Amino acid sequence: MSKVLIIGSGISGLTCAISCASRGAHVILVSPFPSERAQSVLAAGGINAVLNTGDGDSIEQHIRDTLKGGCDIAGEKAVRGLCTAAPDIVRWLESLGTVFSRDKDGEIGRRAFGGQSYPRTHYAGTATGKQIVTALVMEARRYEGLGLIERRFWTDFYGGLIKDGTCYGAMLYSEATRTIEAVTADAVVIATGGQNALFGKTTGSTQCDGYTAGKLFTQGVDLKNLEFIQYHPTAIETDQKKMLISEAARGEGGRLYYEEDGKRVYFMEDLYGPGGNLMPRDVVSRCIHEAGRQVYLDVTFLGREKILDRIPEIYELCLKYRNLDITREPIPVVPSVHFFMGGIAVDLHHRTCIRNLYAIGECASMYHGANRLGGNSLLAAVYSGKVAAYDIKDTKTGQPDWSDLIKEENDKLIQKRNSSSRFPVMYVRGMLADTVNSTLGIVRDKATLENGITDIDYYLGIAGKINYDRSELEYYNYSLEGILTLAKAVLISAGSRCESRGAHLRRDFPERSDSLSKATIISYDNGKFTTRLSGEDEYEG
Amino acid sequence: MKVRILRQSGPYGKPYWQTFNYDGDSNASVAAILDNINYSDDIVDSEGNPTDRISWECSCLQGMCGACAMVINGVPRLACDTFAKDLKGDVITIEPLKKFPVISDLVVDRGIIQENLKKVDAHIGEYHQEEERDHELEYQIGRCLKCGLCLEACPNYVKGNNFFGPLFANDSYFVASRSRDNGDQIKKDYKKHFAKGCSKSLACTKVCPMNIPTLASMAKMNRGF
Repeated sequence: MSKVLIIGSGISGLTCAISCASRGAHVILVSPFPSERAQSVLAAGGINAVLNTGDGDSIEQHIRDTLKGGCDIAGEKAVRGLCTAAPDIVRWLESLGTVFSRDKDGEIGRRAFGGQSYPRTHYAGTATGKQIVTALVMEARRYEGLGLIERRFWTDFYGGLIKDGTCYGAMLYSEATRTIEAVTADAVVIATGGQNALFGKTTGSTQCDGYTAGKLFTQGVDLKNLEFIQYHPTAIETDQKKMLISEAARGEGGRLYYEEDGKRVYFMEDLYGPGGNLMPRDVVSRCIHEAGRQVYLDVTFLGREKILDRIPEIYELCLKYRNLDITREPIPVVPSVHFFMGGIAVDLHHRTCIRNLYAIGECASMYHGANRLGGNSLLAAVYSGKVAAYDIKDTKTGQPDWSDLIKEENDKLIQKRNSSSRFPVMYVRGMLADTVNSTLGIVRDKATLENGITDIDYYLGIAGKINYDRSELEYYNYSLEGILTLAKAVLISAGSRCESRGAHLRRDFPERSDSLSKATIISYDNGKFTTRLSGEDEYEG
Repeated sequence: MKVRILRQSGPYGKPYWQTFNYDGDSNASVAAILDNINYSDDIVDSEGNPTDRISWECSCLQGMCGACAMVINGVPRLACDTFAKDLKGDVITIEPLKKFPVISDLVVDRGIIQENLKKVDAHIGEYHQEEERDHELEYQIGRCLKCGLCLEACPNYVKGNNFFGPLFANDSYFVASRSRDNGDQIKKDYKKHFAKGCSKSLACTKVCPMNIPTLASMAKMNRGF
């Protein structure tokens, strides 16, 4: 029986754990907090699948839409696998207890989402991610009862146990004991979500910080397509964060406009026709950016009854956090960082370039190319978890002796915390967020990116020297260097792609270049960052 | 405005009260106020004494994950879902949930929620495909955050006893209505770990941030639906 260590317990981690356990593996599922706190619960709109071909939709069309939405750099084989498996995935989720909405014929409810030729986004109210998490937590519990899944909370990833290109497990940090321990496994699966902390607060969870990807990068793991960062076109500003107004609002008919000379200009419809409001997210965000003024999303004409029936969470959100009644007033919206198409480079089986190390869900870069379609992230989270589980074999690899390494790392922590220094690590994170927000906006250019890299080099210089702020969780202290290193890799990747494609727009290179229809791979070796272009056959083929 | 917080430096530390000044936006959520105190400047209490940053748990900051459950002015609530303008008086009092062991300041260990559900092996197993079902109630139960606010408010819930509290009544209905092979067992567990202990104060329904109709779950389970 193989032993699998999974880091992260959102939808992807849970799916992988369930799939491994159902194949008889022993799974250790690690996360600081229970799955109910994962960013997965914020996924509102739905999950894409072609369940019904009656209206002319087909799996082939789902594949074409996904490749086109991704601006032709996602791998066709990978996307084909994703879209082909989608119908079974939705049925599987329902069989586990996901409470999908029903249409008048009793079928699973579906709505139109951006960039798709047919309505194929299946939903559970506007809480699809949350309902899926609820179902998966219950299913995982079944395997907990059988002793096949062992959950560990209050535990953070510290680093990989990697030697000569093979992963043997991970170093985990316990906030309770304040020590690092080695947990060995036949395979390690990373399912830690996106890189929100680079930007401070996004539409997502504060828990997703990119540290794991950053740390593994320094341990030899290739990262891919980091420059493709999705700005969701419709968020509302609140005190603490930008909150997502789900694409469901436009899927139900919501219209975007700005005001000019006292008149409403429905600019997306003017530019792209009646379906303009549901163009892919990169296109809508770019148009809002180019509008250069406050843009509004109007749903009032849908009527109170339909709003409360179809998008009640959006109604409640606006009322609570903006004192705005969307049945009577338009919603002032702004684009906000929402999803990371880039991440850990993985092949069709979700293997990284390190043997026995896998990455799944948002932390892996796969399927979405330069821009993700709404409804494809929940699908990819589940699918990737299953694909990785299927590939994991009982390797019975002999284990090197890790005791010296663990002692060394624990000594390092003790030395770092043996200080009365009050240097506020969170301020460095705040400075990083300022740098990243000002350099990786919707539109970038060479000069600002280079200035950003200089700033991050300065922060890295500080981070390497300072002792830990004891009034913060130790995790925030030790994770700083990994997060900064990842941020630098993102900026270097953005600087290396001299074209505009999908979510990556360059002021100095406004056109798409056919010769760059490839993925950006970035590697790390002893402080040196190297980028290269990779064809489909290297990772996604 | 003053913010009075019951603090504790670690699981074995002695609890103590500390007061902070807050002069930011009066429309802010309690979560925003905690962030403001922690990171606007070097953190000092209302007497000007330097102190440690306040530990509290957060993830979504918009009432969808349940991380920031705490007791605010005596009422169990989510910090990100509670606004200063809706609170009476010039002092906001914040305490950790009392029914769970404190890890640090306002962070508590709610692991007992998962442990209890694991004890009774609450899962669906073989799915019961049934068109005639209370879809709306199931959807509402599916939104449960497992935040622990209902357990905090419940006069019958005490850590370590046999009564698993309101969230278990909801999960019981969820399993019983959807499972073909685990329904009878969960009905027995419901009687043992909920029905016998509930005095129907309904305090749980008043504090649930998702407004889950626990009474409806109880009615269904008690009737055997």
